[in-house]
Amino acid sequence: MGITVIIVLFVLPIVLGRLGKTGEYWIWVSTEMIIMALFAMSLNLILGFGGMVSFGHAAFFGVGAYTVALLMKKADFPLYLALAAAPFVAAITAAIVGWFCVRLLGLYFSILTLAFGQLLYMVVFQWYTFTGGDDGLHGVPRPEILGPINYYWLCLVLFVICFFVMRMIVNSSFGLSIRTIRENMERAKFIGINVRRYQLLSFIIAGAFAGLAGGMLTELNRFAQTEFLYWSKSAEPILASLVGGMYSLVGPAIGSSVLIFLKIFLQQVHRSMVEVWAIVLGSLLLVVVLFAPHGLVGLYRQLFTRSSS
Amino acid sequence: MTWQLFVFMLINGLCQGMLLFIIASGLSLVFGVLRVINFAHGSIYMIGAFMAYSLSTILAGESLLGFLALLLVVPPAIAIIGFVLEVSLFRRVYREEHLLQLLLTYALVLILDDLVRVIWGGEPRSVPRPDLLAGSVDVLGMALPSYNVFILVVGPLIALGMWFLLYRTRTGNIIRAAVSFPDTLGALGVNVSWVMTSTFMLGCWLAGFGGVLTAALSDIDLGMGMSTIIECFAVVVIGGLGSVGGALLGSLIIGTGLTFFQFPFGRWALVFPYALMALVLIVRPWGFFGKPER
Repeated sequence: MGITVIIVLFVLPIVLGRLGKTGEYWIWVSTEMIIMALFAMSLNLILGFGGMVSFGHAAFFGVGAYTVALLMKKADFPLYLALAAAPFVAAITAAIVGWFCVRLLGLYFSILTLAFGQLLYMVVFQWYTFTGGDDGLHGVPRPEILGPINYYWLCLVLFVICFFVMRMIVNSSFGLSIRTIRENMERAKFIGINVRRYQLLSFIIAGAFAGLAGGMLTELNRFAQTEFLYWSKSAEPILASLVGGMYSLVGPAIGSSVLIFLKIFLQQVHRSMVEVWAIVLGSLLLVVVLFAPHGLVGLYRQLFTRSSS
Repeated sequence: MTWQLFVFMLINGLCQGMLLFIIASGLSLVFGVLRVINFAHGSIYMIGAFMAYSLSTILAGESLLGFLALLLVVPPAIAIIGFVLEVSLFRRVYREEHLLQLLLTYALVLILDDLVRVIWGGEPRSVPRPDLLAGSVDVLGMALPSYNVFILVVGPLIALGMWFLLYRTRTGNIIRAAVSFPDTLGALGVNVSWVMTSTFMLGCWLAGFGGVLTAALSDIDLGMGMSTIIECFAVVVIGGLGSVGGALLGSLIIGTGLTFFQFPFGRWALVFPYALMALVLIVRPWGFFGKPER
């Protein structure tokens, strides 16, 4: 089934490309979906698998975004080098932030990630000369050969690679240790797992993937802005994970795509839906929290196991 | 810096701090009893501010009575909204994991903030100050807005009132017992869920009160909830989650800090709350007056 999905995703822009202007718009939307899916999956590495609720994940997304924007605009880096640098810079940032954060547990961990996230946001916001402040950085160059379809393919290829790397990580002994820590930290310590080191490492890995996603979005929109680091941006992958289901690898990707699709679909239905989008999203979230805490994937599994038994 | 300027800035900083205290103490109190960090507290505060705006257009005029009416009507109205939210939503997630609780309150942020936008629109608004508080007072040869002095009087009154309520009344005993020993309290025949509802209503009342005070102090806009809730987080983290005394200390530190750092650092002073919050969490995660958990 996975292969079919990938093939469909590869063929999709060719089909959409034949639809003219609307098709081009949907290619752009699909590219954004792929990028945000990567962002959501990156957070879920620590959220769903590690049990660490980070409210500052957008910081690494934003750091990646600004890395690409700054390198390409101010240092004339080619796209592939800038995109390669984004996860590294994000990982270094995540290492520094995470070094402090993994010392705390539960709620305190969440609040500290929030504090660091906002701290980075404020720095980017105030540092006019370097980051452009709240104007952001506009006019990130786009290589000639990268039309909408080609860029979609580039993002899809990167996404598929990241997906397989993440799957490898989750299923490795490292991934199992992280899950053990989520289930029972005391026992994990008892069987000789260095809890903090494992958590820090997963925090860095998650940050790196988020940084790549941020860099990809910058090139898609051709700008980086402070909003990428704001705390409400950190909430997006959490919502996506919750809606899609956080105990599976693809859950967050599905959740994120569903949310983006829903938003755009509602916009198409009626303009006024843009106004009340947050109300719709919030209500949807309430329903999920109250009635389906395991998300869509959880619902699917529930239905599936019921029908098979 | 001359000492006059120092005193002047101190007073302004304390004024900021007092306002922040009124809002943050509600957040802290609710966390203490309900164990839920309410992201929507800022949105509730914003609704209070916008409600005050609407009511002020009806009351018309800048009379002191009209303003007092705002302070008497809006906070209880917000408390009633709090009642509805607690009974219909919060109550269902007390036994769930932290993440779901956080997300529930975040969902409320999305809904409430958008509702405010739909109802009141995006433009900044403000509530006229009553004539009596519109002028300024002469402090050491500098003009200090009387309204700031008013907040400086009301803030400590609220703090005193909360201290009296929490430490000198039976209700306060019950609330404090609910913080430490909810099960014992239930066994003693107290209706714990009613204690939780009332505490949540009190928290909302404080947010609403802060909202009214803010509306007459400066412009109110759609971003105020979001920025205030983060400042409140900083306050309760510094003071210790669930400690009202800690909220007072945290508010005063943040309020005066913001004012004083503006002098050498300009706009960079805005970084201060986050930096301090991170620092406190790293060194002493449970804050000055909190107790370490687990």
